[in-house]
Amino acid sequence: MTSPASSSEVKYLIESSEGNTFDVSGAALRQSNTFNAMFLNIGADGPIPFTDYNEATLKKVFEYCEHSVNEENYSGPKHQDDLSKWDLNFFNEMDQKMFIDVINASNFLDIERLTSYCCERIARMLRGKNTQEMIKVITLPTAEELEAKQKVEEKKAAAAKKVAEKAAETAEKTETLEELPVQQLVQTTRNKLTRKYLSFSNE
Amino acid sequence: MSSPFPLLRLPRLVLFDVFKSLSIGEKIKLSICSKKIYTQFNNARLYSQKVIVALDMHYQNIKVYSEDYKDRFEISIRFIIGMSNDPDVQQYQIEGRTVLVTFYLERITTFWKDYQEGFLSVIPYLLMIFRGKIQTNTYYHSYQSIISELLDLQLEFRKLVIEFKGLKHQNLRFNQIFNKLELVEFLSISSIPGPGFRPVFTSWPQKIIIRSSDWFTLKSLLTCTCNTITLTGSHLGNEDLDEIIKKWKAGGFPNLERLEIDKLRFTNNGEHILGVNWRRELDRKVIQTEDGSKKATIRISDRSIEMSITPFE
Repeated sequence: MTSPASSSEVKYLIESSEGNTFDVSGAALRQSNTFNAMFLNIGADGPIPFTDYNEATLKKVFEYCEHSVNEENYSGPKHQDDLSKWDLNFFNEMDQKMFIDVINASNFLDIERLTSYCCERIARMLRGKNTQEMIKVITLPTAEELEAKQKVEEKKAAAAKKVAEKAAETAEKTETLEELPVQQLVQTTRNKLTRKYLSFSNE
Repeated sequence: MSSPFPLLRLPRLVLFDVFKSLSIGEKIKLSICSKKIYTQFNNARLYSQKVIVALDMHYQNIKVYSEDYKDRFEISIRFIIGMSNDPDVQQYQIEGRTVLVTFYLERITTFWKDYQEGFLSVIPYLLMIFRGKIQTNTYYHSYQSIISELLDLQLEFRKLVIEFKGLKHQNLRFNQIFNKLELVEFLSISSIPGPGFRPVFTSWPQKIIIRSSDWFTLKSLLTCTCNTITLTGSHLGNEDLDEIIKKWKAGGFPNLERLEIDKLRFTNNGEHILGVNWRRELDRKVIQTEDGSKKATIRISDRSIEMSITPFE
């Protein structure tokens, strides 16, 4: 973490899956509830590893956050028709793969405003259509794809569980969050999210 | 983004948020795209929109309303006969049955071998997508078995309207319905049963209104556990009312918040309720339970009585 004079100008280093690092302002990062839960009060030594996401995706996500720093406080999802020209350009210049990567990253980082705009954009693809037209707009995974997806999720969950158990042991020894290494904090939060996700799966 | 969008590959919580952004009609149309999507709606049900599922028995429609009535969608239930050659008809699966469907802006029409199959498939289907309760505003005897079966499925009713008109004998289906009234929030009964038929309440809704209630006896009323009881056209008299109020004072009717009875058979010859002259002294009187936990304000006008109950503060 760099430490300029004013706290509003604090910059954080973000590390992507490629191992590249780049600066993001504290104000932009604070839009991420995941970040707030991990680092807001305790700070971070060294780059913050969001290594499940590539540099292009993370830069796109934080481009949005930097832009919306000066916007008025977020007050719930906006209808797509109410989006500004900047917002529309932001979405329009993404291809589908990037859009999905941005949704996934935004979901992990828990950036409410960006996630809800993405959801609204997907909803707009379906709006005013009958079932036949909706089927043309979306692809449905085959049984094999769904099975493969489930296996990956189960594998991830099992791995996350192991790490979480290990992290819990370490946390007990460490006693305070401040003493946990950054990498482990990220992993702990990721585990929490995994457990949250699994609780939905089991409902 | 012109290539098809992999909706089901979205993180589950994001998918649920997408569902939230859709209108009632869009949700229904999307759910019948595939069983996989329907399953995801089912998974998201705990967080889904609250709706009212209204059965329009006269026109064989099911109307789905948001709680504020700003969003609505209609599903018509029709006989299948003659529809197979219609070019606009498409085939989908609803509750495991293959159904022909035609689409309109704010409604769809579904075709079934009979109404019963249609209603009993579509209503549970909807209540796996949305959180909600069923509502009926009219009643037809031909729908008795549908209502009975919906109650057997433990589906809840916000409002149920029942008529006995034309019934002369004991009716098994009615007994089944009256056995499941704890699933009903508000029951409205609006006609007099024939002389050979007396419904037996083996369970009670939360609120009940019985119009032309001269058949509804004191014995039945004394077992009632509703929080709101409205009887119009009643033939209960002073002595009955005296017994009702005494039971309440002694701790009976524990759920009761409001009691309204009209067309009481009050006599004007000095008969008393709670030991006082009902006409001169009972109106606006505040009474309380023997344990002092509740109070009730009594209003009397002409031949009707209202009793509003509040806990003592």
